[in-house]
Amino acid sequence: MRYTSFTPYDFVLLAQGLGVSLALFLATSLIGLVIGTIWAVIRFYRVPVLTPFIAFLAELLKNSPVLVQLFLVFFGLPALLKINVTPVEAAVITLSGNTAAFIYVIAVSAIESIGRDQIESARVFGLSRWQVLHHIIAPQAMAFAVGPLTGLLVNQLQVTSLISVIGVVDLTKIGNILNLRTLKPFIVWTIVGGLYYVTAKLVALGGAMLEKRLRAHTAWKGL
Amino acid sequence: MIRARGVRKSFGSAIVLDGIDLDVESGEVVSILGSSGSGKSTLIRCMNGLEKLDAGSITIDDFDVSRPKDLAEARKRSATVFQLFNLYPHMTAVQNITLAPIQVLKRSRAEAEAAARTLLDSVGLGARADAYPAQLSGGQRQRVGICRALAMNPRYLLLDEITSALDPEMTAEVLNILAQLAKNGTTMVFVTHEIEFARTISSRIVFLDKGQLVVDLPTEEFFAADGGMARPRISQFLSKMRKD
Ligand SMILES: Nc1ncnc2c1ncn2[C@@H]1O[C@H](COP(=O)(O)OP(=O)(O)OP(=O)(O)O)[C@@H](O)[C@H]1O
Ligand SMILES: [Mg+2]
Repeated sequence: MRYTSFTPYDFVLLAQGLGVSLALFLATSLIGLVIGTIWAVIRFYRVPVLTPFIAFLAELLKNSPVLVQLFLVFFGLPALLKINVTPVEAAVITLSGNTAAFIYVIAVSAIESIGRDQIESARVFGLSRWQVLHHIIAPQAMAFAVGPLTGLLVNQLQVTSLISVIGVVDLTKIGNILNLRTLKPFIVWTIVGGLYYVTAKLVALGGAMLEKRLRAHTAWKGL
Repeated sequence: MIRARGVRKSFGSAIVLDGIDLDVESGEVVSILGSSGSGKSTLIRCMNGLEKLDAGSITIDDFDVSRPKDLAEARKRSATVFQLFNLYPHMTAVQNITLAPIQVLKRSRAEAEAAARTLLDSVGLGARADAYPAQLSGGQRQRVGICRALAMNPRYLLLDEITSALDPEMTAEVLNILAQLAKNGTTMVFVTHEIEFARTISSRIVFLDKGQLVVDLPTEEFFAADGGMARPRISQFLSKMRKD
């Protein structure tokens, strides 16, 4: 292989890699958010059989390495079910499932943080369980959850770098390619790390802004 | 009317309500007195369906609170004001008051808000309509709690020690409103430790002791020397309450 120095085209490569990482991050965060929230709602309704099953599944997902889960989906599933799983599919399935498990945990504690007394008074005024969830629990649980959720998402953004191992051409994979071509690891990994850093900071900033808005009603406590 | 028959309730091995019979007719103000732990709150919580009865029945205008189908209707006819206000902290005073009218009674938002502001005006909180509970004093919060109950146009108000978390000045604010409601003929079941106030607004007084309804008398008779006061348990209780 011939070693060459950086070219303007490398910026396009980095941008593409960042795009892939971001797209996977956003897609899996969204899917994870939906699934994790649905799991928490199922638990709120204490649906028999499903509730303990979800708790068990979330435990499994939380307590095993994401890389192992990724290998299980990418290599294990095809072998077991005789199906074809592309790297991107494996990445989406694994990261969504993993994010869902952590979001489930956050959502459950957020729901449980809402005082029983408010829920009781809403029920006494005739609101259904669903109306209580919608009007009383959800808005406050969201304000409670935004902080931990932001932390989780910043972490999940970094976790996406693992998928480069199974051949998804994300930002880390591009870093690898550039590194092998230029043999300038310090520069390449500084740039790649910087891009992750800036993205993570943007996620954190967005979370902080959202939290401030959702907590408007407690901002007055000092008065 | 509210009708309780043979109501029993235990928590574990502790019998908290031990066969309660009680009728509350339209237009009556019935005060429930009794020492701490006698089961007053539990009785109210059975009336509004927050606790399941072990035996007996409670009906509100013939809707049985133990039957899920009836409970919704029973809850539309009665409204509860809570000791610790139980307001929704993420909603303004107006939003607290309009939530159930909009969601349960299916009123339009505009109509519900206009009614809420009128109610808030009537308890002297017109200017605080858009404040969050955290911005209000205890007395103001409880006045919002009362408005929230009144906004449902209930036939019966269930009030469980609604002033016991308030200082005397705020207590007076809230009791004034109740006196007004009583004068207007609102039906109330009023759990309280405010004996003197109960005496002025109640048509009847019932006395709970260890989960049993031991006395149920018109107010005059309850306080008469040859009526309720003739019973050692009651004169004891009253003299203790008056000392505190
Ligand atoms: N959820 C519960 N679980 C177990 N015990 C309970 C529960 N709720 C009430 N009790 C018990 O039932 C008894 C009656 O309680 P309740 O709250 O009805 O009394 P009360 O007359 O309202 O007293 P107070 O004047 O202090 O408010 C008490 O001994 C209390 O400890
Ligand atoms: Mg009580």
